[in-house]
Amino acid sequence: MSTVEIVLTEEGPYRWRIEPQAAMRVPGVVFATRELLPQAAGDKALEQVANVATLPGIVRASFAMPDVHWGYGFPIGGVAATDIEQGGVVSPGGVGFDISCGVRLLAAGVARDELDHERIRRLMDLLDRSVPRGLGRGGLWRLSGPEEMDELLLGGARYAVEHGHGVPRDLERCEDRGVLEGAAPGEVSTRAVERGLQQVGSLGSANHFLEVQAVDTVHDPETAAAFGLRQGQVCVMIHCGSRGLGHQICTDHVRAMDRELHRYRIEVPDRQLACTPVDSPRGRAYLGAMIAAANYGRANRQLLSEAARRAFATALGVGLELVYDVSHNLAKLETHEVDGVTRHLCVHRKGATRALPPGDPSLPADLVRAGQPVLVPGTMGTASYVMVGLPGNDAFCSAAHGAGRVWSRHQALRMVRGERLHSELEARGIAVRPASYRALAEETPDAYKDVDAVAAVTEGAGLAKQVARLVPLGVCKG
Amino acid sequence: MDGREPGAQPRAGSGHRTVPHTADLQVEAWSATAEGCIGEVVRAVVDSFADLSAARPAGERACTVIAASDADLLAGVLEEVIYRMDADGELPAALALGAIRDAEGGRAMEVRFRMADTATAALVGAVPKAVSLHGLDLRASPGGWTGRVTVDV
Repeated sequence: MSTVEIVLTEEGPYRWRIEPQAAMRVPGVVFATRELLPQAAGDKALEQVANVATLPGIVRASFAMPDVHWGYGFPIGGVAATDIEQGGVVSPGGVGFDISCGVRLLAAGVARDELDHERIRRLMDLLDRSVPRGLGRGGLWRLSGPEEMDELLLGGARYAVEHGHGVPRDLERCEDRGVLEGAAPGEVSTRAVERGLQQVGSLGSANHFLEVQAVDTVHDPETAAAFGLRQGQVCVMIHCGSRGLGHQICTDHVRAMDRELHRYRIEVPDRQLACTPVDSPRGRAYLGAMIAAANYGRANRQLLSEAARRAFATALGVGLELVYDVSHNLAKLETHEVDGVTRHLCVHRKGATRALPPGDPSLPADLVRAGQPVLVPGTMGTASYVMVGLPGNDAFCSAAHGAGRVWSRHQALRMVRGERLHSELEARGIAVRPASYRALAEETPDAYKDVDAVAAVTEGAGLAKQVARLVPLGVCKG
Repeated sequence: MDGREPGAQPRAGSGHRTVPHTADLQVEAWSATAEGCIGEVVRAVVDSFADLSAARPAGERACTVIAASDADLLAGVLEEVIYRMDADGELPAALALGAIRDAEGGRAMEVRFRMADTATAALVGAVPKAVSLHGLDLRASPGGWTGRVTVDV
């Protein structure tokens, strides 16, 4: 463990700096107000920001988004880029166990004021029955076996759409058009495949959810219109990732890199930061497996979208159009200018969302003028945000990915009873369908930072701009 | 959780407790032996999310877990539990652990699980999905063995 003493210097109203010391190769930069900084006694998020700054090849800074909180190895809400040509490393812990965990937002052809409580209740009951989640309930799509899994790992959401699970326009509104090139199914272990075979089209548990929301406030009408959002519109937000397959891939490759650190004379202050040069056999193997898991994650959200569409069609007779699908646990090979030089970087975003500004040529044609939608889920009792990337974001075009936890699950269980939380949310008109009351209590809105403050700081720090605020109408919790 | 308060000091015999961690589930365990400690951790993690009291039996599983160190053995046994849950829909209602021994330049132990069917288990918490190396520990102390593990949920 690191013994670095964390001293924060305020660089601006929303920006704090940890000067390089000991083994740190770059400074730490934290985007926050004083109130949003990790506060809890024993919280090691800032120490983890400093630890990440020791990684070989890291450039510019070890960044922390406004929702940063204590993870393992990397903080959750951490961004780090390494220079591939300067021995820069890739760290599976910098991606996270849940590779390509992300958020998908769909807009419904119905407005909030067209729905009464009874119609929402019917919709939520349908979703409750049709969205696999929790323990031992399988997935919506039973693959025929490992051979078909290989096809899915190569094809991602595109493979799902080609097999009738969605429409071609869905792919236009997915990051990377629903499939990242370069997947290497051969680098995915048998155990990972076995874990993933029965989970395609399932939410999982913990903080994963499928939520029915309504646009409560439009901050930027022009951009909202480009995204396909308007005041009062009903939406569906889905938060989940690559399930057991992604977790097993991360586990396998962290273990392998942990054993091989000496080969590259790498020392890390936390074993979960195990890493290897991007340009090495192990680095390439991990990235190929990680991309395979990213494609699995996108296919998974595609299947859940289809379940939501069936429920909306049955209960309300309306369709769902994809607004965007973006990962917030991923490493990407990107080109950025650092100190006046164009560099090829491996950008780790662990609990951070890519946030491309208007004009970025990699955006879908109908979003180039507006910029990339940045999806920031809050909590089931407060709100979520749609934001848009801004130019001049020196955190390698990254932004917050959610509200960020402040309470441990343990503390949440001590403070909140699931049955009571359920009643309180229902009394406020939020139809809650939990997998279990205890799991619901662990996800109490009080366990998270104030998402309104996180969104405001994200904008104030120049990371992304607020477009719309969405409030929950109903939630299927994993 | 086992109902014991976090922050309490390890005591005689065997036991476990959950420790606050904002991201996930952190468990501490103590026992007279390393094997006992590993067993406590497995029980703590399973109890944190599944009530198997009315679950249908699903037979027995046996395996050998090999790892570089005692601490990694602890992670390896937990990873076996998570793998069986996802791949076969089974969770251990009980387990028997053989003595830790030297093997292949590392450490090994035999594990036997008496399994229950997850489809008939009651979900009571966030489901574990992976074991982190962050702060992973299993060591002898004056009063016995203590272990600590952080589990991704």
